[in-house]
Amino acid sequence: MSGVAFAYSRAADVADAVARGGAPGAAFVAGGTDLLQLWKAGRATPTELIDVYGLGLDGIGVDGDELSIGATARLSDVARHPFVVDQHPLIAEAVLASASGQIRNMATVGGNLLQRTRCPYFRTAGMACNKHRPGSGCGALDGEDRHAALFGAGSSCVATHPSDLAVALVALDATVEVSGARGVRRVGLSELYRLPGERPDVDTTLAAGELITRVLVPRAASIGRLATYVKVRDRASFEFALLSVAAVIRIDAGTIVHARLVCGGVAPAPWRLPAGEALLIGQKPERGVFTVAAAAAVEGAPPLPGNSFKVELLRRALVRTLTTIATGS
Amino acid sequence: MSTTETIATGTDTTTGTETTTGTETTTGTETTTGTETTPADSSERTRGPRIGENAPRPDGVPKVNGEFAFGNDMWIEGMLFGRTLRSPHPYARIISIDISKALAMHGVHAVITADDVPGQKLYGLEHKDQPVFASEVVRFHGEPIAAVAADHPETARRACRAIEVEYDVHAPIVDAELSITAPPIHPDGNIFRHMFIRHGHPDSPESEGVVAVEGDYEIGMQDQAFLGPECALGIPLEDGGIELYVSTQWIHADREQTAACLGLDPEQVRMTMAGVGGAFGGREDISLQIHTALLTLHTGRPVKLQYSREESFFGHVHRHPAKMWYRHSARADGTLAKIEARLVFDGGAYASTSSAVLSNASCFAHGPYNVEHALIEGYSVRTNNPSCGAMRGFGAVQTCFAHEAQMDKLAAALGIDSIDLRLKNALKTGDRNITGQLLSGVVPVAELIERCVAHPLPAMGEVGEMMGRPGGAGRTADAHHIKRGFGFAIGWKNLMFSEGFDDYSTARVRIDEGQNGPVVTVHCACAEVGQGFVTLAQQIARTVLGLDEILLHPADTQVGSAGSTSASRQTWMSGGAVQQACEAVRTQIFASLAATHGVDPETLAIQDDHIVSVDGTFSIPVEDAVANKTFEATEVNRHVQTVRLDADGQGDAHVSFAFAAHRAVVDVDEELGLVRVIDITTTQDVGKLLNPRQALGQIEGGIAQGVGLAVMEEIIVTNGKVRNASFTDYLIPTTLDMPTVTIAALIEEPEPGAPFGAKGIGEPPTIASTAAVAAAIRNAIGRDITRVPVRPQDICL
Repeated sequence: MSGVAFAYSRAADVADAVARGGAPGAAFVAGGTDLLQLWKAGRATPTELIDVYGLGLDGIGVDGDELSIGATARLSDVARHPFVVDQHPLIAEAVLASASGQIRNMATVGGNLLQRTRCPYFRTAGMACNKHRPGSGCGALDGEDRHAALFGAGSSCVATHPSDLAVALVALDATVEVSGARGVRRVGLSELYRLPGERPDVDTTLAAGELITRVLVPRAASIGRLATYVKVRDRASFEFALLSVAAVIRIDAGTIVHARLVCGGVAPAPWRLPAGEALLIGQKPERGVFTVAAAAAVEGAPPLPGNSFKVELLRRALVRTLTTIATGS
Repeated sequence: MSTTETIATGTDTTTGTETTTGTETTTGTETTTGTETTPADSSERTRGPRIGENAPRPDGVPKVNGEFAFGNDMWIEGMLFGRTLRSPHPYARIISIDISKALAMHGVHAVITADDVPGQKLYGLEHKDQPVFASEVVRFHGEPIAAVAADHPETARRACRAIEVEYDVHAPIVDAELSITAPPIHPDGNIFRHMFIRHGHPDSPESEGVVAVEGDYEIGMQDQAFLGPECALGIPLEDGGIELYVSTQWIHADREQTAACLGLDPEQVRMTMAGVGGAFGGREDISLQIHTALLTLHTGRPVKLQYSREESFFGHVHRHPAKMWYRHSARADGTLAKIEARLVFDGGAYASTSSAVLSNASCFAHGPYNVEHALIEGYSVRTNNPSCGAMRGFGAVQTCFAHEAQMDKLAAALGIDSIDLRLKNALKTGDRNITGQLLSGVVPVAELIERCVAHPLPAMGEVGEMMGRPGGAGRTADAHHIKRGFGFAIGWKNLMFSEGFDDYSTARVRIDEGQNGPVVTVHCACAEVGQGFVTLAQQIARTVLGLDEILLHPADTQVGSAGSTSASRQTWMSGGAVQQACEAVRTQIFASLAATHGVDPETLAIQDDHIVSVDGTFSIPVEDAVANKTFEATEVNRHVQTVRLDADGQGDAHVSFAFAAHRAVVDVDEELGLVRVIDITTTQDVGKLLNPRQALGQIEGGIAQGVGLAVMEEIIVTNGKVRNASFTDYLIPTTLDMPTVTIAALIEEPEPGAPFGAKGIGEPPTIASTAAVAAAIRNAIGRDITRVPVRPQDICL
């Protein structure tokens, strides 16, 4: 455990939270399911914990043309919310593929999006990890790399983002609403995450003190569209993804007119596969088309020795996901 | 939970009550745990379960309710908290250790290193080669360097961080094969044991059959993954000795090793079992016992040391990873002509039980089959990987995976049904194994095979529930993606310790007059780690003595050794000791009746709850016969002497053998490499069922561990460093991942020499279940699987 003493307080409101959240050592806490693990591993050493669980940011409902999911909505509430189940089942599928029932009862949407990598070099004290301490090196590059990234990584860091929900939300063109010292802004979820580059220790584009208050999903992202989430992992009951795929397509007059292919567990962020998407547009929803698109989608992925199998596995998962959608099963 | 100044040991159980977080008061205060209940009317005795009846575990309900006192729940006024500093490197020379900053910290009472070990600096269960603290060289990732006692766990943790250790880091030796010829990483060398078993004339041309199959097999490092991490509490005694409460498998072996390192006589170290949360072999070696005792004596204060989940992975030994080459050769009719094997077991940094594990692996390497000739070569080797030792199945698991794969392969090459091939070669009573030992006990191999495969297969269920399919909640597979496979395997191993070990157990049985009649107290040091001795000892005492009120004394060193709770031995050894002690007490009761009633003691017997004479002229309730009297007997139960294997691996090394067969049904999503184990159907050779409910628990639990090894459980070690020391990353099957377990038959044929004819049943469920799952996956995908655990990429790429 980190053992660094910390102060704990409940934020009075969002303004109070963001006013104090930017201070050095400050951290927001809600469900705490990831923060506690990071704290125990010595990978998070907050000195001031600001509890945002009770700020009423847990609402789920329709706001204009969008589905609005509060940042502190619990995953289990999201998965069983009637509107989500009915209108955006992709979200429910991804959530139900996440964690265990117990954790889903505690963990929140905002925390899920901001959870940190499961890379064993990051999660274990005493290991070289640029994400933990820039400049200390990346143990995974020449070590245990089965879980390492296929896309978007660099020589500084090959860690992957573990969220299932984020993969589904990117496929639905979701945005997040963020409150900070300079007011409220909206950012596309895919722009929330950043690649390791020179600062592998920084996962997101959030400024210090900024707080995600809700996630917004355009209703049109699901209307008339077919989608599903498929997750491959080493244990069926609960476990982080070896890789996952969220796919959304829209078919008009027998041809695909809209496609989103997003994969999880293989990149520092939910990873869109535009080459694959492009090859679907204008085509018939057939296995042959899916096979060609999937092959293009994974082409050029630079694997490490221990994770090269994931390139082929991802290709197959893409075909499987698209076929599942097209056959409606 | 327990009130203050109470050390709950969790093993003290009283009959008739549905409770038992037993309490052991060390301060004289009369306290009990909050869970203890008394029967509504204790004058009305309920009849407790006898041998062969379902006996509910007295600690079952408290464990489910979170009320059982595990070792970690121990607390005593004024205790300090210990912590271990461990090496971050798998192989390094220690240049210096500076404890001054840690020692200067407020709240720190002691910082100890190898310099503070007053007695022997090395310890070990079979071979003393492991330093209490590393002082010159560290040989595995996580090896203890120093220990701290402080006023708070957090202080102790910080103090550990303040210890400055300077290392000269070396490249670790992590490949067991290479280590055989590598420069020694320990003064005792790199080879724990190199052995041969030569059976028949394996070098002669006649030994060669007409069909041969070869294979290379590999097994990953499995962890016992018990749920209650290691914990110990030490209390200094006025005579300079120590009282030690510890969750362990064998308190007397712990005491011997601990006392030697403390420089004390064993009698000065008094040990008591603390409540154990699982063991499976992982508590057979010393972990924190010596460290706790040293800190206690050093500070003169009670010290509690407990491991976190992460530290537990570094603090105990694991199942040996193994690489095995096999060649089977058969006559045209399927008769096994020759089996050759070369086994390389990675023992990690220190010896632990590597020698005995290898011996077992080699002795059972051919499977429960007759073979004309065999040549088995085995190595167990030292490396800079985590140390490996005992785990459920103890060497037999590894070779079973290989020999059963070979039998299937051989059957295919011969064009014979694989079950017929097994039946044709099945061992039976009166045969000899490859060490030349006559199998004089029960050897129901053919019956186990036949009844297992004859059991109806589970129906190809509706594809409904997602969790029932490969990939589970990942929503990967639909019906048309699934291929169903079937696999069969049978395995065997020895019961009790082997190769000349002086193996015994001790039990003391006493009858006293209690408040509501006579109470039988059974005192045995047998470690209850979940196997069910708590119920068994009571069942035996009730059956032999015809009394119902049985008190099980906490397991401690105030009675002789019970040996280890391992090797499926405690039912036979400690159960037998309890039976013998009860019989000795019964003889005393009969003698007392002879004196008071003038009956011939030779004619008396206990039937249910009465003492009766064979001619029916005399009958008295046992309760009345023992009223206001005290009887006591202590008995030691030894099994027949075995011998160490000779240079050719020959000799009567074992006492008895147990067998179990498994048929696995799996659904495989071949494209994505996902497996769902649907059903394991099993038959097992049990001798006699003593407690059917407990037997079911052992079988289901053993299969869970076998399935885990087959499809997910592996400690990932990269270049000597453990990568997944958590239950988030070390995967074990959850209840959702478990297949249905179907018991097709439990064969009750009494084993000669065993108490009530019962064989140990703890290990056999784990031996062949892994092999059966692997066989079923092969069957589903039509390709070879040569390594477990089977990962997605092994199936689909």
